[in-house]
Amino acid sequence: MSEARNYLREVETLDNGNVEAAYARWAPIYDLTFDILLKPGRRAAATAASKARGPILDVGVGTGLELPMFAPDTQVIGVDLSEPMLRRAAQRVRRERLDHVAGLVKMDATRMAFPDATFACVVAPYMLTVVPEPQAVLDELARVLRPGGEIVLVNHVSGKDDAIALFEAWLDRHMAPKLGWRPQFPWSIIGDWIDRNPRMRLVERRPLAPFGLFTLTRIKRMSAESKKSEESAPLELALA
Amino acid sequence: MTDEREPGAEKLESGEPTRIDPRLLEILVCPLTKTTLEYDSARQELISRSARLAYPIRDGIPIMLPEEARQID
Repeated sequence: MSEARNYLREVETLDNGNVEAAYARWAPIYDLTFDILLKPGRRAAATAASKARGPILDVGVGTGLELPMFAPDTQVIGVDLSEPMLRRAAQRVRRERLDHVAGLVKMDATRMAFPDATFACVVAPYMLTVVPEPQAVLDELARVLRPGGEIVLVNHVSGKDDAIALFEAWLDRHMAPKLGWRPQFPWSIIGDWIDRNPRMRLVERRPLAPFGLFTLTRIKRMSAESKKSEESAPLELALA
Repeated sequence: MTDEREPGAEKLESGEPTRIDPRLLEILVCPLTKTTLEYDSARQELISRSARLAYPIRDGIPIMLPEEARQID
């Protein structure tokens, strides 16, 4: 808990203004630079979400790279804080005739324009590491999620003491405000949040290609009557 | 309010008005009050009576941020 809190204090310089400006700069070349590395995670998130029976929310949809990966019989709404990125996503939707995309909306992920319990699934690929308040975002994702629905996260979870972790810590101190994302992201940010929310249950945590650099996390919102301890579904846990 | 459109952003082909998907209109609420919105298709705005704000729709993208909304009486 305190690890996460200290950490959050350290990155308070990473505010929405930084993120928005950084993404406006990145928008033109984002697809080229990140597509190859990030594609397996997008596909995994879209595949997991496509099993949902009901509307899907894609938070941090960006230029819409994963939009073609959802099953055609789904209904997807994408939101992002970056208008230049959303405009690119809209071009993609028109160009590729992605009829399953019901809309693209500019909004703040901590204060979304949806009623409670709207979506059967909420996906956030590579999103939590770029927001100033990841736990406030998780609260909001849970709010708009229907009971029985799932939050599907894909992001880098940093290790504790390997060389990569040290490099991430350095990047974090020196580069986070310029990059618009935080290289260092301890699991406790997600883990502590799940522990604090009795309705939410971790159902899967799986490292993804390439090299297990990114982790797919599925968190289910239990229905009102079932408690965490009474659930018997086995946890699919595969740790690197 | 600032127009932050990037210089290279394409305009919609043929200038046809962008339609808002009814599936989206049905779901959206005011981010502040979580109450329903009225769609003004002529002005391309989503009106929240309870927050007295009009949220703009630019190129078919609703901008659901209070700081970018227009105050109404």
